[in-house]
Formats: sequence, C-alpha cells, structure tokens
Amino acid sequence: MYSRMIRNDMSKSRLITLATTLFIAAAAMLVSLAAVLVIHLSGAIDTLMKRSETPHFMQMHRGDIDLARLEEFAEQHDNVQEFQVLKFLNIDGSQIRFGNHSLVNHVQDNGFSVQSEKFDYLLDLNGNIIQVNDGELYVPISYWKDGITKVGDEAVISGKLFTVAGFLRDSQMNSSLASSKRFLISPNDFEDLQNRGSIEYLIEFRLVDFSQLKEFETAYALADLETNGPTLTYPLFKTINAISDGMMIGVIILVSLLVVAIAFMCIRFTLLTKIEEDYREIGVMKAIGLRVSDIKRMYLGKYAFIAAMGSILGFLLSFLFQGVLLANIRLYMGESENASLGWLFGVLGSLFVFTAILVYVNGVLKRFHKISAAEAIRFGMSQDKTQRTKGFRLRDKKLLTANIYLGIKDVLTRKRLYGTMLAVLVISTFMMIVPQNLYNTISSDDFIKYMGIGKSDLRIDVQQTENIVGKSSEIRNMMQNDNTISKYAMFTTKTFKMRLKDGTEETIKIEIGDHSQFPVEYSEGRAPIAEDEIALSVLNAEELARKVGDTVPVVIHGMEQDLTVSGIYSDITNGGKTAKAVFDDNTAESMWVVFAAKLADPILIESKVSEYASKFSYAKVSNINQYILQTFGSTMNSVGKATYSAIAVALILSVVITLLFMKMLIAKDRYSISVLKAIGFTNSDIQTQYISRSVFILVIGIFVGTILANTLGEMIAGGLISSFGASTFQFTINPITAYLFSPLLLISFVLIATVVGALGAGRLTISGNIKG
Amino acid sequence: MKKLLIGDQIVKSFSEGNEKRTILDHVSIEIDQGEFVTIMGPSGSGKSTLLFALSGMDEITGGRVLMNGRDISELREKELSDLRRRKMGIVFQQPTMLHNLNMLDNIILPSVKDNRKNVASITQKAEALMERVGIAGLKDRDISKVSGGQLQRAGICRALMNNPDILFADEPTGALNSTSAQGIMNIFSEINQEGIAILLVTHDVKVAARAERILLMLDGKIVRELKLSKNKEGRGDDGKRIEMITEQLREIGI
Ligand SMILES: Nc1ncnc2c1ncn2[C@@H]1O[C@H](COP(=O)(O)OP(=O)(O)O)[C@@H](O)[C@H]1O
Ligand SMILES: [Mg+2]
Repeated sequence: MYSRMIRNDMSKSRLITLATTLFIAAAAMLVSLAAVLVIHLSGAIDTLMKRSETPHFMQMHRGDIDLARLEEFAEQHDNVQEFQVLKFLNIDGSQIRFGNHSLVNHVQDNGFSVQSEKFDYLLDLNGNIIQVNDGELYVPISYWKDGITKVGDEAVISGKLFTVAGFLRDSQMNSSLASSKRFLISPNDFEDLQNRGSIEYLIEFRLVDFSQLKEFETAYALADLETNGPTLTYPLFKTINAISDGMMIGVIILVSLLVVAIAFMCIRFTLLTKIEEDYREIGVMKAIGLRVSDIKRMYLGKYAFIAAMGSILGFLLSFLFQGVLLANIRLYMGESENASLGWLFGVLGSLFVFTAILVYVNGVLKRFHKISAAEAIRFGMSQDKTQRTKGFRLRDKKLLTANIYLGIKDVLTRKRLYGTMLAVLVISTFMMIVPQNLYNTISSDDFIKYMGIGKSDLRIDVQQTENIVGKSSEIRNMMQNDNTISKYAMFTTKTFKMRLKDGTEETIKIEIGDHSQFPVEYSEGRAPIAEDEIALSVLNAEELARKVGDTVPVVIHGMEQDLTVSGIYSDITNGGKTAKAVFDDNTAESMWVVFAAKLADPILIESKVSEYASKFSYAKVSNINQYILQTFGSTMNSVGKATYSAIAVALILSVVITLLFMKMLIAKDRYSISVLKAIGFTNSDIQTQYISRSVFILVIGIFVGTILANTLGEMIAGGLISSFGASTFQFTINPITAYLFSPLLLISFVLIATVVGALGAGRLTISGNIKG
Repeated sequence: MKKLLIGDQIVKSFSEGNEKRTILDHVSIEIDQGEFVTIMGPSGSGKSTLLFALSGMDEITGGRVLMNGRDISELREKELSDLRRRKMGIVFQQPTMLHNLNMLDNIILPSVKDNRKNVASITQKAEALMERVGIAGLKDRDISKVSGGQLQRAGICRALMNNPDILFADEPTGALNSTSAQGIMNIFSEINQEGIAILLVTHDVKVAARAERILLMLDGKIVRELKLSKNKEGRGDDGKRIEMITEQLREIGI
C-alpha cells in the first residue's frame, strides 16, 4: 500500500520531486567529489614525496661552501639519516630557448641539476627515477602544461643543443608558487654548462626522527654553517604542493556544504507544504487510530526513495567530473597509491548525504506529534503559532498601503517560517559576495603587500656574493640618474648575531633600508622608523616569541643593542623568516640586495626591464605585474571562475527555493487568501502582499548576508589566503559589483520568482476554501 | 422598485472524473433595492453555491448575474473585486478573519485598502459600528481570543464598512446559540430598515420569518417562493409567520 501511495504522490508533484532529487544529487555529487579529491590529493602528494624522498630540511646557499665542515656536522648529528649537497645551476631565462620561445619573461628562477644519488629524486611521469643520457633534457611539468615545449623539441641552453626527452615531477618545486624550477641534464652536460651560470647549493638532510625537525633546525642555525639563502622544510614543501588544488577543494567543500544546507531547506519546504495539504488526512488517520510512527513511515518512505535516487545519481555524476578535476593533480603529483580507495570514499560521501537527509526528514516529521486530530479535522489546516506584534497596527502605519502592511505584518507574525527563507537569502548573498571579494583581493595590485613584497613597478634582485656592495651601488647610481624612475629604494639584507635569553647565539637576516618606501602590509604595528626599531615577519615573531613592543638583542658594530619590535608583517619570500630595520652597519656581511622602483610612466616597464637586464647581467630584473601574473595567475583564474559559478549557483538556488517557498506559503495561506478575495482584494493586491514579504526579507537577508560576508566571510577567506603565507588581510572590495549589482541581481531574480510563485494564489477559488 | 441584483438562468456544474454534476440547475432570482430575502432548503441543495455565484466569488457554468444592470461576468477581475468591496457585504457561517490582525484592523481592512489617508475617520466609523453591535471593548483583541458570536458581529461590521447595496449572509447564525443568534438577527433587521438589501441563507424558521420573501431550494432549483408582508417590527417571534413558513416547508418535504 505504501509503495502505491508513494508512486501516486510523486506523479502528482512531478516537478517538485524532480527538483528535490536534483538538489540531493548535486549535494551528493559535490560531497563525493570533495571526498575523492581530498583522498587523491593527499595520497598523491604522499606518494610523490615518498618516491622522491623529499628532503626534510634544506638550506639554499650562494657563495663559498665548506663541504668538509658540513659533512662533519652531518656525521656528528645523531638525527641525520642522509645528507647531500646538490648543485643548482642558475641560468638566465633569456639563455633557455625552446624553438623561438625563450623563458626571458618568466619570473621563476630556472636552474639545471643532475639526478641526485641519495634522495630528492626527480621523477618521470610514471613516478620512476629518471636516468638521463647526454644531450637529453627533462623539463619541469609546468612548462608542458603551459604549452611551452613538448617531447622531441629542440632546446638551446646557453648555446648548447639539447633534445627534450621528457618531463619531470619535482616534489619541491612543482607548484607555480615555488619560485624556482629544476631542469634535469646529464653529469657531462652539467660540466659543460657549469661556467655559463651561477651555482647555488641545495644543502639537504633527511632525518631519522622527523618529529625532531624543529630541534634540528635550531642545531643547524647554531652551528654557524652555510646560510646564505632561504631555509625550507618538509611541511612547507607539502603545503606548497597542496595549495592550488587544496584551494579548489576548499571551494568545493564550501559550496557542497551550502548545497547540502539548501537541499535541506528544499526538503523542508516541500515537506511542510505536503503536510499542510494533507493536514486533514493526517488528522483523520490519527483519529481512526493509526500511530504516528505508521504515518511517519509513509512520508519517510517517499523521501528515502528520493534521497536514494538522488544520492546514486550524484555519485554517478561525480565520476563525470572526477576526471577533469583530478587531471591537474594527476599531472603534477601523479597517481595516488591508494587511488583504488577513491571510489569507496565517493560512496561514503553519497551515503553521508543520504543518511543526513533521512535524519533531517525524520526530524521535520516530528511535528506530526503536535497535530491535534480535532483541530486538523475542524480547520483543515495548521493554526500557526503567531507571535503577537503589538504596536504594529494597521491604523497606525499610515505610510504603508494596506497591501504592504499586510505583507510585512505577516512576516513579523510568522518569524520562524520566514526565518528559513531568510537563511537562504543570507546564504545566497554570502555566496555571491565572498568569492568576488576574495577574487578582487587577490587580483588587486596591493595583494602582494600581504606576501612581503612592496608594491612597485620594477624589482631588481642582486644575489651574487662577489662585490655585492660595489655592484649594487652601480645600479643605484643608474637609478638615481634615470629620470624615468620617479622613486626607488634599495634594501640590503645582512646577517646579524642575536643573543637569546638562555645565552645562546642565533643569526638573524635583517633587511636594511627605508621601509616607508614601497611598504608591505603590517598585520600589527608599523614599519621601523627609528634606528632602534625592528619589524619581524610573522614566522620570525612566532619563533622568537616576540610581540610588538618587545625587544630583540642584536649585535650591531660589535655591540649588543636592544631593538624594539615596531611591527609584524607576513612574508613568503626567502623562506618566510625575515626582519626589517633602518639602522646601518657597514661591518655586517651583505647577503643580497633588492631594488624597488616606480616609473614615471608605467608604459615604460617592459623597456626598462630589458634595459636594466641587459646592462646588469648579474642581477635579476623583474616586472612586478608579470611576477604576480605568473605566480598567482592560475589561482586568480580559478577563483575568478569560482566567483562566476558561485553567483550563478546562488541565483539559481534563490529562484528555486523562492518558488518552493511561495508554493508552500500559498498552500498554508489558502484560507487567508480566500478571505481577502471574498472581501474584495484583487489578485494583484495579493501579489503585492507577497512581493512586500519578499522585499522585506530580501532587504534583511541582503543586509545580514553582506555583514556576514565581511566578517565571517573575511575570516574564511583569510584562512584560504593564509595558505599563501599572508597572516591577516582585509578584503579589497569593489563596492559597485559587491554592494550594488549583486544585491540588485538577487533582488530581481527573487522578485521574479515571487511573482511567478504567487500566481498560484490567483488560481485559488474562494468557494473551494471557505465552506458555506 | 428597481432591480438591484438579477440571477438569470444560472447553471453551475462540477465535473467529477468523467461525470458532470449540476449543482445549480437554471436558477433565476431577482432582488430589489432594500429587499430582505431568505433562502431555505436542505443541506446540499446548492444554497451556498448560489450565494457564491451571485456575489461573483465563483464562476458560473451558464446564465448571467446582473448587478445594478451590469453583467458581472463581463467585469475584469479587478472591477469585480472593486464591486464586491464597495457594493456588497458578505457574512459567512464561520467567521472569516485574518489570524494575524486584531479585531479592529480586520474590520477596517477593506476600507483602508481604498482610502489609506482617512484611517482616522474609517476607524471612527468602525468603532461606531462595533459599539452598535455590542463589541466596542474588543478593538485590540486577538481574533483567537473572542467568542464565535463576537467574531460574527465583527464580520458584520466589516461587511457594513463600505455602505454596501446588498449584504449576503450564509447561515450567519448557524454556529451560534439562540440568544446570540437573536442579537445578530436584530442587527440584520436594523440595517435592512436603513435600506440595505439582504440575501440570507438559513435553516432557522425564526430567522427566515424576518424576511419579506422566502425562496425554497431543492436539488439545485428554487421550487417555491413565499411572499410575506414587510416585517415592520423586525422581530422573529411572530407566531403566525412562523407557522405559515413551517407549513410550506412541510409541504415540499423539508
Ligand atoms: N467545489 C465543489 N466541487 C464539487 N462539488 C461541490 C463543490 N462545492 C459544492 N459542491 C457540491 O454542491 C452541492 C451543493 O453544495 P452547497 O451549495 O454547499 O450546499 P448547501 O445548500 O448545503 O450550502 C453539494 O452536494 C456539494 O457536494
Ligand atoms: Mg451551505
């Protein structure tokens, strides 16, 4: 009997059944996808890093190196399992050519290596350690993805001819967010090229006990070994590998949670409508002695069926999109070892949605207990608990027309009912605003300031040790006399000793210069101004346990001096542990110098970059806009797409939910509507009342949603952005799209849906609802 | 006398599956200005359906309804609503009030719709009406917190707010005890004396006795018409009238 009732019922309300099924399918699909992606991503990263044997600790170093001393350190330190020093041959992008295309405009440091012997292997696309022959070149996978070259192409490196033999995965530098890229060549070819670029050393360790990484880092720092370059560790490599796809998964999870929430509301509305329509029957069933659990089972059976169909459909659909979404992970990271478990997690995801829906439906059906048989039979509809709203009387509100008054009054007296609709609108507003604010923020020119890079047109890095002071003053003189440069600043990073409370010494790299020029964003405090002030990067402040106002004892001119922390900023450059100050100490060793410059006319950037690059071949000259584009471009792109999809999804959801809501309202209100019609209100009057209700909750919903987007949304987006290394940030907002166009779009879509939904009220007959 | 309302060969049928059920079978009825007419008949004979048809609340299958000489089926929905709001008052058997408005707001609602600015004078008028039907103290009362009789009186107030030409009432005393019923009927008689026509459906002979014309309905047809003298005192306990009506009812087997 039940199955026949279910079938009857579903064929009567085909459209709603279909919509509900589709929502559940979408929810199940997204949850399954998120589960599958998480499993694949984490699995693939683990597999890649396991096969590559990624170093646990790596110190980059330029300049002289004392190998014997390093070996001694490695031997004496119990926790070191393996140790090696790799050479990374930096060659200018202009000297790397594939056909007609050179890498001159690529911001990444391109370097050449031979295959390592002990660990940190470069892998081919099957996950095997590559063996290279003379004349062969293996290229980082990202250059294949960007379509720069393909297998079999000829490549000319500093005049030497190579054949592209394949592509490689590099567990350290795969991501576009990693600033260097490693090419692989044979040892003989490396010999040949060695003099055509500058050598950088990768001093790498693998530890016996990985959990002692922190202690090892300290030990290395204290041992006074080579440190002229950033220090990177295993967790950072893992994070960098995970960020791009992780962001995508984050967005999918966020959207899937919202869709699940919306599916719940959709079910709530259709279920409440159904209960409303069946009210009298339910009362009669109770009156003739059917138990509530029996009645519930009939409704639950229907939703179990719909939920099962939706979940299965969603699970199948997830297969359709898995391929596309996994492609990037597969390309960069390769197959995960536990890939075969992927589908299992997909099933679990769908199962989760299925179960959640049944639990929810069961919860909504609890109200059967509250239906009084007598009331149901007498009135044929539920008597809503109306809240009294004294003081909001028709005769007092002279400014409102009768229709608008009735609309608002209804919302005020049935707050719980409208609360659900309000929640949908708040979610929709949130969904429309947060992604676009996030997109605006990361695509804004100022965003790099959260990454520890000041906003400028042009940036020059001088990283060579020989006569760094002389070379940088050459550049400074040229900039000084260049009248196309409207403003410039020079920042010299030097190492200093720092004595800690327990008496131990540590080194700290401090960037000296005028930090009021080309400033970065400070999460707390401000840039150093006085000679006795210092600003710390977030990582440094955490490690040294310093807050703004604390002091740091630094040895300057051989004298220990307490510098006051003036501010804390986030930084992802140079391993993230940096400091800034304005004092000078000519006795300290200069490690690298950075110039930032602003041009009088930004049109000149391209030509200035090539002018300085050709004049100072030892320096790396970059166009900041290009840097941003190449580092964050792909992320910006995907967030941009996510933004448009989120807006579209929010609008579609609002329309569908509004239609369902209106259907439910009219089912509930059929009596009041008939009364209004009987006493001479027209269909368009009633429509005006429904529109007033919608506008009223729209205004509140958009207001609340906007506030939430700017508080909670900013926090959530902050979490995503902090994966880039920025610790605090504020939305960069385009008020016209965020606070004018988006609300207008939402308002017009919801109003159209309201009008269409309220058409049902016109079809109600008075005689059908008021018994004579 | 001028004809206020004319029902001409009204047919109303519903289709149930493939079958067609005729509820009103060529009913013709005429009501003069200021006339007091009651309809009597067994349950299911089509009395309410006729009232819905005459007041334009339901579409009819055949025939015409003329109000002040105009065919209401030719009116647009908006014009029909306006007509109902301004020229007709309707009182149902069960009180029909909006749940979220208090008594006074329910009463003034249709008038306020047309004339938002004059709320003050509208409210005054409503208060006077409430006073007159004996519910003056219930202005701000929730409609769930008053008795059926009081609600029915509020319904009459609402129906009278726009000075209608005719008042339709479908068993207005059906759900009330006899004292309340008598109170309500006294009000009806009074307004009729002020010149408002009344078309009233009832099962109660005492109620029917207040009218000057009684129509008897059976199976969707008006089977008999009783003309009485104008009931000057407006009282329902006139033994002679009641006896006569009871006689007639018995004759047709009600
Ligand atoms: N909407 C409808 N659909 C089908 N039949 C109806 C509808 N409304 C009333 N009827 C039928 O019309 C007949 C007359 O009803 P009604 O006019 O309410 O009778 P009464 O004289 O008791 O007021 C009844 O048999 C009833 O079943
Ligand atoms: Mg009836």
